[in-house]
Amino acid sequence: MLSEVRFEGVHKIFGTETAVEDLNLRVNAGEFLVLVGPSGCGKTTTLRMLAGLERPSYGRILIGDKLVNNVSPRFRDVAMVFQSYALYPHMNVYDNLAFGMRARGAAGSVIAQRVKETAEVLGLAQLMKRRPSELSGGQRQRVALGRALIRQPQVFLMDEPLSNLDAGLRVQMRAELSRLHERFRVTTLYVTHDQVEAMTMGDRIAVMNSGRLQQVDAPETLYDNPANIFVAGFIGSPRMNFVRGSLTTTRGVAAVEFLGVTTPLSSRAKLTAEAADGAVTVGLRPEDLMWRRAAPPESTLTLSAEVDVVEPMGHEAYVTAVCAGETVTSRFPPRSGVRTRDRIELALNPARLHLFDARSGNTILQRPVAGGAELPRSVGEARVDESEEGRSERQREPHTRSAQSRAEEIS
Amino acid sequence: MSAVEARRAGAEKLIVVPYSRVSPAAVATNMILILLGSFFLLPMLWMVFASVDSNPDWAIKLPTPTLANFTDVLGRADAISSFRSSLILAGTTTVVTTVLAVLAAYPLSRMHIPFKRAFMLAILFASGLPVSMLIVPVYQMYVYFGWLDSLYTTALFLAASSLPFAIWLMKNFIDAVPAELEQAAAIDGASTARILRELVLPLTLPGIAVTAIYTFINAWGAFIIPFVLTYSPDNQPGPVEIYNFMGSHGLFKFGDLAVFSLLFSVPVIVLYLFMSRYFSGAFNFGGAVK
Ligand SMILES: Nc1ncnc2c1ncn2[C@@H]1O[C@H](COP(=O)(O)OP(=O)(O)O)[C@@H](O)[C@H]1O
Ligand SMILES: [Mg+2]
Repeated sequence: MLSEVRFEGVHKIFGTETAVEDLNLRVNAGEFLVLVGPSGCGKTTTLRMLAGLERPSYGRILIGDKLVNNVSPRFRDVAMVFQSYALYPHMNVYDNLAFGMRARGAAGSVIAQRVKETAEVLGLAQLMKRRPSELSGGQRQRVALGRALIRQPQVFLMDEPLSNLDAGLRVQMRAELSRLHERFRVTTLYVTHDQVEAMTMGDRIAVMNSGRLQQVDAPETLYDNPANIFVAGFIGSPRMNFVRGSLTTTRGVAAVEFLGVTTPLSSRAKLTAEAADGAVTVGLRPEDLMWRRAAPPESTLTLSAEVDVVEPMGHEAYVTAVCAGETVTSRFPPRSGVRTRDRIELALNPARLHLFDARSGNTILQRPVAGGAELPRSVGEARVDESEEGRSERQREPHTRSAQSRAEEIS
Repeated sequence: MSAVEARRAGAEKLIVVPYSRVSPAAVATNMILILLGSFFLLPMLWMVFASVDSNPDWAIKLPTPTLANFTDVLGRADAISSFRSSLILAGTTTVVTTVLAVLAAYPLSRMHIPFKRAFMLAILFASGLPVSMLIVPVYQMYVYFGWLDSLYTTALFLAASSLPFAIWLMKNFIDAVPAELEQAAAIDGASTARILRELVLPLTLPGIAVTAIYTFINAWGAFIIPFVLTYSPDNQPGPVEIYNFMGSHGLFKFGDLAVFSLLFSVPVIVLYLFMSRYFSGAFNFGGAVK
């Protein structure tokens, strides 16, 4: 009974504010898709539209093959874990869990059996007689989860279910949710603003910003090939460094100059059609910007810099340094001994560069994914392609994508 | 300057505010409060004393104890019938007002309604209007409809006049129930009827109780409306009966008056105690939302 979920050209406008703009997204059957983005970017609104609590201003929402725009929440067969949990305060844990099955007219013995099973899965068996006010945050969270799990719906919706738990419990529940998904394989749309949750839990991650979908991809792809500066900066901690650079092409060989060095681009990386000689933004992940002394041989570029701040993390240290007038962060081994004002040498593997158009912020460098195979990916220039009739969540591809790769993607 | 010197210099800069035990302002404030309080308490004291006094008069004095006043009042048909009238009047008013207030407040709390704010402000304004302002046209209307001298039609107008405040009160109680609970129930597959029955009703029950009790107490003490809209002796509720005790029965029977007033206050006191339990946090939404 696995169902896919599709948003086709969905907009949600509150008065004058566009909360969600032209959303095209497919959650595959049985997939755990994480919707991530900063606070206020429209994640909750997206979820509420799928649950039927908000009506889209434009566009279509489908669960399975059924258009659900006009289906009330009651008949959508989705289960939702609210950000606030929304437990029924006057009912004990048992009744909270049983409520949905009773509402659907299940027999008493079936309900008792299911409640028992669910409570065991979630470790709630000892708490059945308690009211929500007598539970800890983690226990409430489990009850909220249990109320969704017990139903075996077509789709799970979860709105930042872990955001109010303390760090330890959050890690534990993260693993537990992943395990539950492994076990039941229900199509899940999981909302979070925490990139760690997104990276660790998602089969795929959809990144959203100010109401617009930016990119949908598997976690590693998203990390290695961010579609634009927003995604590049949002995913990864510490944040990717962005520095000014300039792109030049001489006799068909592209080279980029930044932080006082010039390097030709790797022959395996391809520039997109948007790429043009002139100003670009160069992205450098802190872990690619290494201490010369600890760097592997592929890191052929050397930059000289002056240390500004050293932040020891225990197993590593973040070193913020000034290099050719720009401030960059790099990841150092622990106990490197460098201090503020030291002059150091940083090493960089030119194959690890990210290049973005200085104006639009879109990536202009298609990097090979580890293993060499180019995976289909989507870029957030969201416009429904008429020829596709909005049938796929893929946003319009960069114009350079060949017809061949497009065909591969559809197949 | 050494550390010790510095500390001494600092100490000398301290300003000592003289502490007077009783300031004239505090004395004045307390006097005024005592005066105001006695306006309420002295009549009650009189009521208690006079009710058990064999020879009561206007003065507050220690009683010569007797229960004669009680047996006298309980033996009077008009006293008993006025209790019955008050019960019918206040009961009907309470049922009508509470049901209508809940029905009006729920959509006002939950739905998007055009001009809702203006409507709520109009309600608040209406709840402040004195009913005596309207009593003449209302009397004419009742004459026209032939509704005079019925406790039930009188209750209708009492209900109308208590409805604005009751709606306002009820809306605030419903506002306090998170809408997400109802949404969660809807996603859980519950019908609207089930949501109202199993969620909204139990969660707003304290609010309904408070609204009902408040309406009942007000209707129980209503004077001008029943005084104007009813006339037969059987239909006189308590407050009107007290007025009659003082006026048309010729001479004052202070003892009977005190007993009647005392008995008439009992339901109000009981209901008030009951209501205060809800306000003292006997119920909350703890754990519903984070
Ligand atoms: N009911 C509403 N009325 C008006 N604006 C709303 C409403 N719900 C959400 N918004 C606005 O839509 C935007 C997206 O909100 P939301 O989906 O809650 O963001 P997120 O869950 O990503 O933090 C916000 O700017 C918010 O102010
Ligand atoms: Mg949200």
